[in-house]
Amino acid sequence: MRRSTAAAVGTLTGAALIVGVRLSVQPPAPPAAAPSQVNLVDNPSTPKPTATGAASKKPSNAGAKKPAEKKGAFKDGVFKGKAVKNIYGTIQVSIKVDEGKITAAEATYPLTGNSATINPPAIAALKQETLKVENAGDNVDAVSGATYTSQSYQQSLQSALDSAKA
Amino acid sequence: MRHVEQVMGTAISIELADDRSPAELAALVGEACDWFHLVDARFSTYQAASEVSRLRRGEITAADCSADLRHVLDACADLWRDTDGYFDAYAGGLLDPSGYVKGWSVEVASTRLFEAGSVNHYINAGGDIRMRGHHPDGGPWRVGIRHPWEAGKVSWVLALGDGAIATSGTYERGDHVINPRTGEPARGLRSVTVVGPDLALADAYATAALAMGEPGLTWLAKLATDGYESAVVTDDGRAFSSAGLPAAV
Repeated sequence: MRRSTAAAVGTLTGAALIVGVRLSVQPPAPPAAAPSQVNLVDNPSTPKPTATGAASKKPSNAGAKKPAEKKGAFKDGVFKGKAVKNIYGTIQVSIKVDEGKITAAEATYPLTGNSATINPPAIAALKQETLKVENAGDNVDAVSGATYTSQSYQQSLQSALDSAKA
Repeated sequence: MRHVEQVMGTAISIELADDRSPAELAALVGEACDWFHLVDARFSTYQAASEVSRLRRGEITAADCSADLRHVLDACADLWRDTDGYFDAYAGGLLDPSGYVKGWSVEVASTRLFEAGSVNHYINAGGDIRMRGHHPDGGPWRVGIRHPWEAGKVSWVLALGDGAIATSGTYERGDHVINPRTGEPARGLRSVTVVGPDLALADAYATAALAMGEPGLTWLAKLATDGYESAVVTDDGRAFSSAGLPAAV
């Protein structure tokens, strides 16, 4: 994993945090077909901060191992960012690199947390319709509505039905 | 036989459509009303001597409470989990299980009526209805859902044999439903109706969706797989319903 690729994925992860709400309402995107998946989280070659004394004894030799590449180019493949938790759930971004350029970027929808329950995938949504205004008349036996008090019952349609039956 | 009882801060309408003697029907109605008054005395947050009030003041612990109250506390905890925290008996700070108690007490009353031989009846507690069997003329019960702006009109008419219809809305008692995430009154939905087998759950689901606001539309859609259908009107007058809503024809 190149440092530049890690930076790109990191930036996308941050973006995903910001747009988490919007992403959560979109249908799940199928995972990109991965010719060579590298998980940043577990990849041992991921650059780590060198804060410890042991690490600072010797300069990192990561640069020496770098294959020759054009400056600014990314290694081809599909790279997944670290799964990040926010209050809307867990989001994970991935990018696809072809010929050294990012050709696709996407984020998973939250699988856990609030959005997972409020915005579950693959559930038929309620359908929108015209709000009707009908006279109930003799057509109904009872009326359901927001809870009325003993007082407001007197003005309710249910009260009228009860009076008619009494 | 139709009877209206003033109890639990609202009016409860009971209709028994069974072919029984007036004396038998009156006795059944009387037993149901006794039960509702017992529930009121035990669960009211307005009566200082109620079990809920004593629990609130710390005079008793949950272990000291009646089996009914312990059931209600357990059910509220389950619903808190099942609704992602949006049905919250502590949304206002102190314990207030009223949002569960009303539907549950009607559910219990209807079961007792059924076991006592009334197979055709409905109980409407302040707008939340449990029904069984059929109406006096033989067809399914026909229930109107009140139009959220015009009190004398209905927006839907549903036909139901056995089942429950609960509606939560902001038009009767104002901002009484709190979004527990924000502590602010619920916004976005004006009326949420949930139809399903159990009134206690239907009522709690309707209240939870109202607290969620517009994201509640998607949450309600998920309930259809559990047998709970819904009809919703937003604050700006858009209407939504689930595919399985039992509309009358």
